[in-house]
Formats: sequence, structure tokens, C-alpha cells
Amino acid sequence: MYDDDVIAAIATGYGASAIGIIRVSGRSAFEILKKIFTQQPPYKHRYLHYGHILNKDSSIIDEVLVSVFEQPHSYTGENSFEINCHGGILVLNKILQRLLESGARLAQPGEFTKRAFLNGKLDLSQAEAVEKIISSKTERALKIAQRQLRGRFSSKLDTIREKILFLMAENEVIIDHPDEDLSSISFEKKIETVRNIQSELKNILKASELGNTLFEGILLAIVGKPNVGKSSLLNILTGTERSIVTEIPGTTRDVVSESFVIDGIPFTILDTAGIRKTEDVVESIGVQKSVEAIHKADMVLAVFDATKKLEDEDLHIIEHIKNTNKKTLAVLNKTDTPSLICKSDIPFDNVINISCKTRDGLEKLEDSLSKLSLGEIEDSDIVSLNANQKESIKNAIDICEQLIKDIENNIDPSLIAVDLIGLTDYLDEIVGKITNEDMLDVMFKNFCIGK
Amino acid sequence: MIYPKKYDVVVIGGGHAGCEAALISSRLGVNTLMLTIALDSIGAMSCNPAIGGLAKGHLVKEVDVFGGEMARNIDETGLQFKILNKSKGPAVWSSRAQADMTAYKLRMKYILEQQKNLDIKQETVDEIIAEDNKIIGVKTNIGNEYLCDSVVVTTGTFMKGKIFIGLNEYEAGRAWEPPSKKLSDSLRELGLRVGRLKTGTTPRLDARTIDFDSLKLQPGDDEPVPFSFKTTNFNRPNIPCYLAHTNEKTHKIILQNLDQSPLYSGMVESMGPRYCPSIEDKVVKFFEKKQHQIFLEPQDEHSTEIYADGLHTSLGYEVQLKFLRSMKGLEEVEIMRPGYAIEYDFVDPTQLKHTLETKKIKGLFLAGQINGTSGYEEAAAQGIIAGINAAFQMQKKKLFTVGRDEAYTGVLIDDLVTKGTKEPYRMFTSRAEYRLILREDNTQLRLAEKAFKAGLMNKEHYEMVMEQKAKIQEMVKKLKTTYIFPNDDTNKKLQALGTKIIKTKTDLAKMLRRTEINYENLIELNPNLEKLEPFIKQEVEIDLKYEGYLNLQKQQIEKFKKYEELKIPSDFDYNVVGGLSNEVRGKLMEIKPSSIGQAIRIPGVTPAAISIIVVHLKKSNDKRYKSTA
Repeated sequence: MYDDDVIAAIATGYGASAIGIIRVSGRSAFEILKKIFTQQPPYKHRYLHYGHILNKDSSIIDEVLVSVFEQPHSYTGENSFEINCHGGILVLNKILQRLLESGARLAQPGEFTKRAFLNGKLDLSQAEAVEKIISSKTERALKIAQRQLRGRFSSKLDTIREKILFLMAENEVIIDHPDEDLSSISFEKKIETVRNIQSELKNILKASELGNTLFEGILLAIVGKPNVGKSSLLNILTGTERSIVTEIPGTTRDVVSESFVIDGIPFTILDTAGIRKTEDVVESIGVQKSVEAIHKADMVLAVFDATKKLEDEDLHIIEHIKNTNKKTLAVLNKTDTPSLICKSDIPFDNVINISCKTRDGLEKLEDSLSKLSLGEIEDSDIVSLNANQKESIKNAIDICEQLIKDIENNIDPSLIAVDLIGLTDYLDEIVGKITNEDMLDVMFKNFCIGK
Repeated sequence: MIYPKKYDVVVIGGGHAGCEAALISSRLGVNTLMLTIALDSIGAMSCNPAIGGLAKGHLVKEVDVFGGEMARNIDETGLQFKILNKSKGPAVWSSRAQADMTAYKLRMKYILEQQKNLDIKQETVDEIIAEDNKIIGVKTNIGNEYLCDSVVVTTGTFMKGKIFIGLNEYEAGRAWEPPSKKLSDSLRELGLRVGRLKTGTTPRLDARTIDFDSLKLQPGDDEPVPFSFKTTNFNRPNIPCYLAHTNEKTHKIILQNLDQSPLYSGMVESMGPRYCPSIEDKVVKFFEKKQHQIFLEPQDEHSTEIYADGLHTSLGYEVQLKFLRSMKGLEEVEIMRPGYAIEYDFVDPTQLKHTLETKKIKGLFLAGQINGTSGYEEAAAQGIIAGINAAFQMQKKKLFTVGRDEAYTGVLIDDLVTKGTKEPYRMFTSRAEYRLILREDNTQLRLAEKAFKAGLMNKEHYEMVMEQKAKIQEMVKKLKTTYIFPNDDTNKKLQALGTKIIKTKTDLAKMLRRTEINYENLIELNPNLEKLEPFIKQEVEIDLKYEGYLNLQKQQIEKFKKYEELKIPSDFDYNVVGGLSNEVRGKLMEIKPSSIGQAIRIPGVTPAAISIIVVHLKKSNDKRYKSTA
């Protein structure tokens, strides 16, 4: 709490936005920048530096502008820089992750401000306010994080905690009560417990990846035979203005324009270029394109023409969707003119009538898209972890591996204890702090000790 | 009368805490008086006839380095010595000895009697006199008033002690000795919070009525190692203990008579130690266990009394006799003294500073069971710290505190003053975060400098330890820079040693890290290597074999120290700190942590609260921030 180690955090909001900023501060901030940035030092105070942030394998994460502030002339009073990158949680998280790998740690809520204060950048009256911010922010952040975690994973986290405590208690009983005649737990049993903990941790990590795809946006395939109205639907959903902007090739907006947001959920439409092309040219390639899109998509929006009977192409698409078992919303377009088919002719659970021309049923469409995707969250164990928590779980999974090896090699219990304490340190925030008292409680409850 | 001689330090109590406190204070040159209820009970072992054990052995050795007597005393009066956990890593090796209880206390009394600057009197202290929150003196049961600057209270289980044997109860401090009825009221009047705890002891049996042939022999080590680093000419007997077992019949008798237990009838409500449960607790809580171990330990070389360890009980005499006789080997046993439960007053230790002085009353120090601990070793460790500080305060020296990163003594005291305790507190190695560094074997190496600087160790001894330390470091360095090469001769030797051959030039330190290789093997590989005395050899091996782990803990200690060094002034006003919850504020005001490090360890104090305090400390001027509390 008095350190000048390098801290990093995403400074912009988590919602969809065109650009994002990551702020980094600390004594050796520029050494970290050097490791991940194509532009090498010297960095010039108060200047913007253009370049790319690179992965470890030198692949490009993003094209960025980095503003550099030398101590003491920065917000925190320390060496610091800000990475201006493209918006969207995926890019931001990747860059943050890269920073953490390279020696930065995730900032606590309010930590930049605290450092600013400690380095004399704020006056006393500001400082009073800072205190309140620090406390309310930290506690709120903690509560939110815990609530999120506890909601879905409550019982699993409790089980992990219990298992760790039991392993610790069992290990400590062997150390501190060597005279006791205790039926010791077999190697196999211990290893099985560690494997269990490890696989539960992996599950949580996996679930958080799922949560991330949600943040990144749901990949939506708009499919249907040519001339069914896919292009109009696309333009309505994304907003016509934007689609005009996309006419200018090579701009970053190009990417943004293929997305739209409903109830805070970002949707990304697959192969929009293909949709426009096939609609215009009226080719049979259209169906083939649709099939490809269904494969890539998280969700499918299947468009049918209410003025025509279902044709082979429609049936082909329907069959294909059914085979992939993807979540599907079917729309019956052109309902402004007399229809030849109705909702019951379409073999999907969710079917709605719309008219791109009159814009009838559009609200219903948005509502259904939102519900269908939200339903997905509720049905599965999605959890949102911050970069720090994810890092901790990964480390914990690694320690489990070490622990298994150490148990197999019959390593001394006082050293096994080091692994176990490492495990609890990493899982502190996730399963709740494990104190020696907690361990003793479990020990006395489970082992009959006492000379 | 007001006694004409004025003392610097008065120690109340002559148990394991009192003896260390009185001895060290007088050894440091201040006039000390020990007042005890029973002179004959100085250094008495109220419970098991043993010194040391897991984590307790560490404490005994630390007391030894700080100039205490416990280690020397057991080395002169032990009946068997054993190193526990020898098959495990060196961090958890622990020494334990069975004691000749009578010899132990007689020698301790003798040592006290020989001590310059120390008077010993048999009187019961009824009142502690303080004015303006400063100690003036003490008043005894026979109307004497002793004026002094400091008082060290080490009352053990004596304050309002009440013994339970079955449904009988009577007032007593220890088995048959009178309790101290008034002292805890006096402490209450001084504004201290007093609580109640419970503990118990086992029946003492007549050896002549035990069939030892049918029991398992438990001797000490063949090559016993003394506790004290000062002990020379160590020559003690190896008198065995015996192992007996309870059985289903025993358990049945106990279960049928639970109504005879004050613990189960509700007569005793205070919290007893979970690590030392009564036999009735064990049988009830671990119903599925078919037998429990009972260790029969000699109490005294020249007596037939046997201590039945593992049988703490408060059941009535008749039931005790019945369940004892249900065990193999004890069919004909006679009880010499029954087991009992005892309830007593203790003072909530969160009211103490790390020096063991109360925050409230200047010059009032508390040590031992009065602080909610259990065990002779825990008592001795507190006794010596309280005694040192009572003397140092008199001499206007910098007070002596021990960190969690330095010694088990530090862990013990920090736990007590930071977290308090709900049950009698016993030391465990698991309580020490830096267990791999705080070992028994390196007690002198890690504490000599501290002890010497504080004037607790003489120069000659200190220099001897420093020489050892230098030698160890030199050898570690040497092994890291001495190489063997992958030639036929070397690899043949390696094969003979049952270890993998080498393919490249390898330093000896790396070889020593192999589990199957010891220093002697290195000499075989490199005959130029010098022979080392056993202690140096052992330390070099530990340093290198565990180097990775030790370095990890050293790093953790560095981080720990950073927070310990952020001192909070004792007059720091938490009321002016905005943004703290009432609960956290209350805790901080009660404990008054001396450093940010300690504040972090207070249960319930959140990281956010810590940040706020750090900001505030920085805000108050820097000079005050750095000064020690």
C-alpha cells in the first residue's frame, strides 16, 4: 500500500466505445512499456507515441497511441503512460493482460488517486474526499466481485474452500501432533482432492471465458435465401447512418458498424459484406454463405419471406440450423403484404412477424433478441472475472499441479504447507481469506487430538 | 506495614512465567521481589511432567537465548529426551523431555535463591496499587505494602480458581493450593477486562498397581540432545513412558456417566482448550473412534506417581477409577490424585502492548496463563519478555519486542495482543508464517545478535555464535564455487552413492541439494573438502537443501517488515479519520496497533481501512509518522 510498483487499469468504461484507455503508473513503468511496444525509448514527456502493442510472440494486439508522462509531472506523480487503443473489452483486456504478464499488477480501486495524494499532487481538502472514494470504491468493487462470484458458484467455491482447509488441517496435524494415532489419508485420496480442486478452478475459468464472449458480443448470423430482406434487416438493426459510413473502406468504424447493442448486449453480425452482395446480385451463393455463417455464429437470425411458400433453399437452411442446434430466432418478413405462410409454418420455437418496409414488429424483434441471449446467461454458469482474479486462478491451477507432484514425491509436510499457503494466497479474493484459525477449526473438528 | 525496602520490580507468582520474569529482571541488575502463594511450589508443573514438544521446544530454546532458565533447568532434571518429527524437515524438528517434576522445581527454586538482586517471599497479593494509571506498589494478604515501579503479574490458574471433580467443586489455584481470591477484582478496578477460561488435568496413578509388561514401551532418544545452548557435560537418564489404550468398555463407562461431568452438566461454561480435550469430550465428539492413546509418564525419578497423559477429565472419582480399570494394564490401578477441571480468571490480552505492559497502567506487565495461554513454555516465553521490559523500563532502555519474523515468542505475543483468544492459547508451528526460517536448530544464529545488542547475551558467547555463522556462510559459498567434473572416477563414486551420474561440470552445492547426498558424501567426491563439526555441517546442509524455500520466506519477511516499519503513533486519533466503519474504528481504538503491519492482522480490519489510515498517517507530519509508538 506504500509501494511504487507498477500498477495498471482500464480507465475507460466497459461498455461499447470507439476508443479505450489503459493507464499505467509506477517507478519502472517505462521498462514495462519497452517490453510490449513497437516504439522503443527514449519516450518524450507529454508526447504521443504511435506504434503497436505486441504479444509475447510479436503478433500485434492493437494499433495504439501512447501518451507519456515523466515523474513528477503526471497525475500520480510517478512515471506513467496511457495507452489509447481501440474500444471493446477484448482489446482492452488483452493489452491489460499483456501488461500484467510484463510485470505490472492490477491497480486497486482508487489506487491512482491514492498515489497522487501520497506524492503530494492533491491538497488536504481533496485528500479528505479521496479517503471516502477509496473506501467506498474498494468496498463496492469487492462486494460486486463477490456477489458476482457467489451467485453462480457459491456452493462450488465453498467446496473448494473446504477441501483446501481439510488438506491444510491434515498436513498440519501430521506436523504438530506427531504422537497422535491418526488414520492417515492415502496419497491417492489427497491427490484426488487436489485434482478436484484443480478441475473446479478450471471450470470457473472456462465459465469466465464464456462470460467474456458475451462481453465481446454475440456473433449473430443473419441467414435466408436471396431477396428475403436480410440486407434491409441488417441496415435497420445497425442503423442506416452507420452503414453509410462503412462505405469508406479501411476505417476503424468499419468494424463498429457491423455491431449493434440491445439492452447493453453487443451483437456482431457475421459476413455483412456477403449479405449485401448476395442480396444485390441474387446468386445461389447466398445459401452457401448462410451455411458458413451459421457455423461461426453464437445465435442465428433466420429470415423467411411471408409472401412465398417455403422453398428448397429455406428448407435447406432450416435443416442446417437444426443440425447445429444453435439458438435461433426466426422472422417472417414482408408481413405488410398478404401472406402465403404464417408463423406456425416455420419449425422454430421463436418466430415473429416483421415488416422491414413498415418497420412493424421491430420492437418485438429487438426484445426477442435480447431475451434469447439473456436466457443463455441464466442457463449456464457464466461468471465475469477481472484480469486479476483470472490471473490468480491460473496461478492456483499451476500450484495444484506442483502440489500433486510434491505429494507424489512424498515431499516434507512443512514444504507441502508452502504450496498450500500459496494456493490460499491466490484464492484469497475468490473463496474468502483462509486464516490459521480457520484451519485449526477444521483440524479440531476432524481429528481427535489431545494428550 | 509499608515495607521499608523499595523494589524496582515485583513479580507476582512463582510459576514458569514468574520464575523467568524474576530471574531476568534481577540478572539485568534491578532490585526484584518475587511474591508467591507457596514457596514450595516455585517452578511447579501443575499438569504434564514434560518440557518442550512441537513449537514449544522452539520457545524453550528462544527463552534460553534471551537469558532464561527453562532450558538449563530441564537439561539438569530431565528423565528422557527426544527430538520429535526427526523424520520430517528441520523446520518442524522439536525437542521434548520428560521431567522429574520434583527435581525440576527444587533446582529452579535453588537458582532463584542464588540470584543476586532477588528477594523471594511467601505472601498472597490482594491488590495492585496504581495512581494516575501508574504502578505504585502491591498490598498482600498479611497487610504488607511493597512499593515498586513495575509489577509483573503471573498468576497462572490461581485467580478465583475453582476446581471441579465430578459434581464436587472447591476453590483452589492448583489441586490443593489456595486460590487468589482478590487480585482479579483489583485488576478489574484498574479498568482491565477480565474473562474466564477452563482447563483440566489427568489422574495420577500408582506405578505399583500398573502392569507395565502388557504396555508398549516408549523410551527417549538413544543419543539425547540438550535444550540449552549453554549445557555442557550433558548426562541424563532415559526413563521410558508407556502407551496404554482406552477401549469400547472405557467409552461406555464414560458415556453412561456424563451426567457426572461438570462439563456436560453445565456447571462449567467457560471455554476449554480444543487441542487438549477431556476424555469425555473425545469419546463424545469422536464416537466412531474405538480407542484413544493414553501415555503413562513418570513424574519423578523417586516416586511411584504416574501421569496419565490423554486422560484429562472432570468426571467424579468413582467414574475415573472405573474407566481407568477398564483398560489393559490398568486393571488393578490405584489413583493417587484424581484428574480435575479448573476454571480461572484471565485478562483479555488485547489490552497489552507487545512489551506485555498493559496499555492502561504504566508499569503493569502480565505474563503466562493470565493472558489466556496454556503451557509452561508459552508462560516462560512471556515471562522473560515481561521481565526484560520491566527491568528495561526501570533502566530507561529501549523496550524489547520480538517480531513474528524473528521468533515463535514474537508470533505468540503478537497473536495475543492483536487477536486475543477465546480458548487457552497453545503454540503450534502452523501459527508461524515463517516456519521454515524459525527453526529450533538455528535459534542462536537468528537471535544472538538481537540478544547481544539488548544485553541479554555475553560477548564471549555472542562471538562464538558469530563465528559459527561466518563459518556456515563461508562453507555455503565454497560449495557453490567448488566443482566436480564428469570423469570416470567421479561418476563411479556417484554410482556407488546411489545417485545419478553427472554429464557436465557441477558445483558441490548443487550435488548437496540431491535428497540422497549429504556433506560427508561431498568429502568422498572431493577429498580436499574440510571436515566440519556436526552443527556446522547440519546448518550448511539445511541452508543449501532448502535454499529455494528459505529465499522465498526471506522475501516474504522483507515485505512483512515494510508494513511493520510503518509505525502508528500510540496517540493516533481514529476519530478524525473519515471513511472508517464504526466496527473497524472500534477495533482499531481498542487494539491500538503499533504499526500498519499489526493493523492488517486485526480480524475484521479491511484493506480499504488500512489504505485510509496510511493516507492519514502520511498526512500527519512525516516526522511523527516515522517515530516509534
